[in-house]
Amino acid sequence: MPGDAKKPVLEIRHISKRFDTTQALDAVSLDIYPGEIHALLGENGAGKSTLIKIMTGVHSPDQGEILLDGKPIRIGNTVEAQAYGIAAIYQEPMIFPDLTVAENIFISHRDQGAILRWGKMYRAAEAILGQLDVHLDVRQPARGLTLAAQQAVEIAKAISLKARVLIMDEPTASLSAHEVTQLFKLAQALRDQGVAIVFISHRMEEVFEIADRVTVLRDGKFISSKLRGQVTPEGAIRDMVGRQVEEFFAKGQTQRGELLLSVRGLGKEGVFSEVSFEVYRGEVLGFAGLVGSRRTDVGLALFGVEPADSGEILLNGKVERMRCPDQALRLGIAYVSEDRRALGLTMPMSIVANISLPMLREYLSGLGLIKRSAEIAAAEQFRQRLSIRAPSVHVEVARLSGGNQQKVMLSKWLNARPQLLILDEPTRGIDVGAKAEVHHMINDLAAQGLGIILISSDLPEVLAMSDRILVMREGRPMGVFTRGEATQEKILTAAMGQNSGAGGRV
Amino acid sequence: MNTLKRYVRPEQIRELSLVLLIFVIIVFFGAQIEGYYSGRTFNRIAGDVAIIAVVAVGQTLVVLTRNIDLSVGSIVGFTAYFVGTQLARHNDITLPWAVLLAIGVGALMGLINGVVIAYGRVPAIITTLGTLALYRTLLVNYSNARTVIIDTLPKWVPELSRVNLFSLGTLEFRPMVVLAVAMVVIFQLVITYLPYGRRLYAIGSNPEAARIAGFPTPRIVMTAYVLCGALSGLAGFMFLARFGNITVVAAQGMELQAVAAVVVGGVNIFGGSGTMIGALLGAVMINTLEQSLRRWLQISEFWRNALLGLLILLAVASDAVILNRLRTLWARSGLQIKADAVQAQVQEESRHVA
Amino acid sequence: MLRRLEWLRRWEGLLVAILVVVVVVNAVQSPVYLSVENQINLFGLFIEKIIVALVMTFIIINGEIDLSVASVMGMSACLLARLYEIGVPVQWGIVMALLTGVLAGAFNGFWIAVVGLPSLAVTLAGLIGYRGIALVLLEDRSIGYFPDWFNALGQKPLVGPFPLALIIFFVLLVIAVVVLQYSGFGRYVYVIGNNREVARYSGVKVRRVKMALFIASSTVAALAGLLIAARLGAVRGSTAEGFELDIITMVLMGGVSIFGGTGTLTGVLLSILIILNLRNGMLLLNIPGHTQTGVIGVLLILSVLTPNLGQEFRAFWSRRRRTGLAPAPGEEKGG
Repeated sequence: MPGDAKKPVLEIRHISKRFDTTQALDAVSLDIYPGEIHALLGENGAGKSTLIKIMTGVHSPDQGEILLDGKPIRIGNTVEAQAYGIAAIYQEPMIFPDLTVAENIFISHRDQGAILRWGKMYRAAEAILGQLDVHLDVRQPARGLTLAAQQAVEIAKAISLKARVLIMDEPTASLSAHEVTQLFKLAQALRDQGVAIVFISHRMEEVFEIADRVTVLRDGKFISSKLRGQVTPEGAIRDMVGRQVEEFFAKGQTQRGELLLSVRGLGKEGVFSEVSFEVYRGEVLGFAGLVGSRRTDVGLALFGVEPADSGEILLNGKVERMRCPDQALRLGIAYVSEDRRALGLTMPMSIVANISLPMLREYLSGLGLIKRSAEIAAAEQFRQRLSIRAPSVHVEVARLSGGNQQKVMLSKWLNARPQLLILDEPTRGIDVGAKAEVHHMINDLAAQGLGIILISSDLPEVLAMSDRILVMREGRPMGVFTRGEATQEKILTAAMGQNSGAGGRV
Repeated sequence: MNTLKRYVRPEQIRELSLVLLIFVIIVFFGAQIEGYYSGRTFNRIAGDVAIIAVVAVGQTLVVLTRNIDLSVGSIVGFTAYFVGTQLARHNDITLPWAVLLAIGVGALMGLINGVVIAYGRVPAIITTLGTLALYRTLLVNYSNARTVIIDTLPKWVPELSRVNLFSLGTLEFRPMVVLAVAMVVIFQLVITYLPYGRRLYAIGSNPEAARIAGFPTPRIVMTAYVLCGALSGLAGFMFLARFGNITVVAAQGMELQAVAAVVVGGVNIFGGSGTMIGALLGAVMINTLEQSLRRWLQISEFWRNALLGLLILLAVASDAVILNRLRTLWARSGLQIKADAVQAQVQEESRHVA
Repeated sequence: MLRRLEWLRRWEGLLVAILVVVVVVNAVQSPVYLSVENQINLFGLFIEKIIVALVMTFIIINGEIDLSVASVMGMSACLLARLYEIGVPVQWGIVMALLTGVLAGAFNGFWIAVVGLPSLAVTLAGLIGYRGIALVLLEDRSIGYFPDWFNALGQKPLVGPFPLALIIFFVLLVIAVVVLQYSGFGRYVYVIGNNREVARYSGVKVRRVKMALFIASSTVAALAGLLIAARLGAVRGSTAEGFELDIITMVLMGGVSIFGGTGTLTGVLLSILIILNLRNGMLLLNIPGHTQTGVIGVLLILSVLTPNLGQEFRAFWSRRRRTGLAPAPGEEKGG
């Protein structure tokens, strides 16, 4: 039973860290107890990941110290952190695709001896995975493992290293609900064995399901640390943001316009099939479903990145074959990807160049030369409209803050004057404050007459923002619900195939 | 089928198909060419392959880490020449010392590559392109464009490549061939059973993860280059023993043959997978094919390059297309976490979303 | 705008300084160095390489590499020579050679842009394969005695004191600058080099751009092969062997990152001037060709090594200054 009678395994005392002009951590102190799941909450930029990096030896603190079992320690690098029993798993697990599962588990061990005993390693790997009740073939290369399986391997790795503190940084972001449950079971099993688990997540419902203790950071400072029973989600949010905030923006009334997009029997071999739906101007169509339901693939098919094999797409009543993104853009379809970091912006280029990129052909003269003044004018317009904070539109986007980069990315797609805007997980990994801004924007755009497809795994978000909701499961449509009739349970049931009648396997 | 999948990986299928290919080539040309199945053919092929194989072993070490060494040809040429002149000047140098000298010089040249690449963080392509030129220049300057003449060398040197260690029927096994096989076996053991060897794979498979796991990546990569240089030095000695007359253009272009052998042998150019055995098979296949084609079509040796280029392309293309598909097939069948019953899932779900 | 000047201060400024040093040293060593004649000669000996360097710049900024250019040069020259040998008029030989360049580029481009193989592997195969074709064509013969008009084009001045090759270089230079810095295509080249997927998701036709670049690269290489045939008056199987070293050095030393996404033609032009003056100076000092090549090799390594070391130093000192603590290696910024 987690309680304060225990001694903390790790004590963090007045840790401060500064990067350039930002004070990432300011005299943060907190205690981590063994046999507890300790949630760490905070907005983006609150200092959570800096704290984690200091605990795992990636960074060294400017001031303050860390005590292990009451004795001060210095963690110079990740290897030393490991030796102290501090391990971390991140959103993107770091595995070696070409090495076997067993090897991945034991790769960091320093004491393997001069010669590897493969038989012994395989057996030991099977033993650890068995402990976790995970079934994987340890002799196969790790390539092709699902994200959840990769995380299981990372956890096995931590266990093999006799970790006493296991840090999980947003581990559930890309997992299906089922996989999240599995992960929680693992975490609880470890907790019961006495491991201290530090759990970072933006999903309140997860935090309050699994955490024993909740700590909040804000702007690099420690705000509060309470047992779960003593705190509520609203209270936690208040601590995180520093003010009362509604978690979701209340949706205003919007006028539904004419039919914009009609999709009939869209299919792609082995990916999705028989997908049919309509999108009207001025409405938000939510795409709900569990991870793996292939909603992104449908979005990519509409945008021409991964075209469909069969079915029809009608835009404004006209049949269109989506073959490439360039064509989609010309037709007024824009797709904002879920992987913002890798797929959003060209970092060394200016704001101007980034915003004009999808529509560059409109800024070209007859000879193919770029009309600089025209694209600068467009960029300036968006700078004002979205309040992008930057010294000038010629600045490299790499130098902007995350939030401003987001705005540039949005400008880029809005500049394409889309009729249909496909948003894929637009608020994933975003803190509560910024989330509201994004929702506000979505409503604005709908009010202006755009048709919006909102792909989101955040059920409350989908329910709050959509006029109608299409539910998908493993590439097949499971039903469309209007705003009035949709409830979480109905959506979930559909998402898991209960009303399909076909009794398919899970 | 599943047990088969457990113990045979896609890469091993690659190696098996190479063996098959070699077999097919031998059988085909054996029917076309008179006197094909002879000790002479074997010796000719084995003699060439031995040298390339040793270089390919070193190249494999480097390629596994997602790097490349284009300077090996220059290293082979330089060490061959250098050791040759030393032997010519001091006829009393014994075999072990001569070999050690070759390895040492090669290792030093490899060290330079390694330091610049691993610690200077200059990409391998650039560094070794530069040292390819630099080491060749060194050779030209050191030699003053003179040639090492076979007559000036102690008698045992050229003898090395002709002496017969043991025979299997009409096939003679000469020291060079045995040495090459020994190197392949030794280093295959290294990359299979030594932690150092496994780290090579790890670095090539996911350099970022290797960094985060705290591996001393620069040191590991540098060592790989030192070993590659040392092996090239050894190959240089073998080159000297085989040809005796060393000019300034000795072993020019050998790096391309080594890379070809490695790539055809199934070592991924992006690192992370491949074996020494594969590299050896690659070298054998290329050389066998080339020599056989020459005898059969009476085509000149000038066709070698064109053939080599085509083979590399085919190997890389087939790897990218076929192997990846095989890998995903393997993965999809054996690796997912088993799912729970549907009922339990529904219950969890409705609890989970508050 | 201000940022542009800052960049100039860092890398291109350094290049200007080095260029000045090299020219001054050369001028001091040899009084005839600064004459117009010598300066034109300077270009003359390496004109084919610098022409190809212009296109290589695009390829490397795009995040690819073309190791086969020198072999295409050789193949093109050998094709011309072989056709001439069997009696085909040189005009047709020129057309065929250029066509071969286009085909080689399309072949490379197919495997790289359409199939998606790494350009390193494909052009390495090309380096070997195209050289192989060149060798097959001419074996170990040397073909010469081309018609006078052909040789004249290669060796005599065409307009004023400038030979044809130099004029072609200037024309291509202008085109290259305009396309790279001012056209949509040029911007696509940068974006793809920086992040191929971002480009794709932004509607850029990545495959087309890459295919166009590789065709351009091999075609220009084929043209360069013809120019060298005309200038030397003779062709062997080994013509243009090893040229890729100089060409890549010129581009990389000019500040173009091997990883793609950054670099300018100004930098490349400066680095070309440095290498030309350096080679010329060494020539006048009777330093043999092989040694020159070795120096270029070292230069290539230094051109990437020095900025790396410089970065390390700067980061080390600034961290020292700010925190008073020694940093862990590979430390990153972020929150």
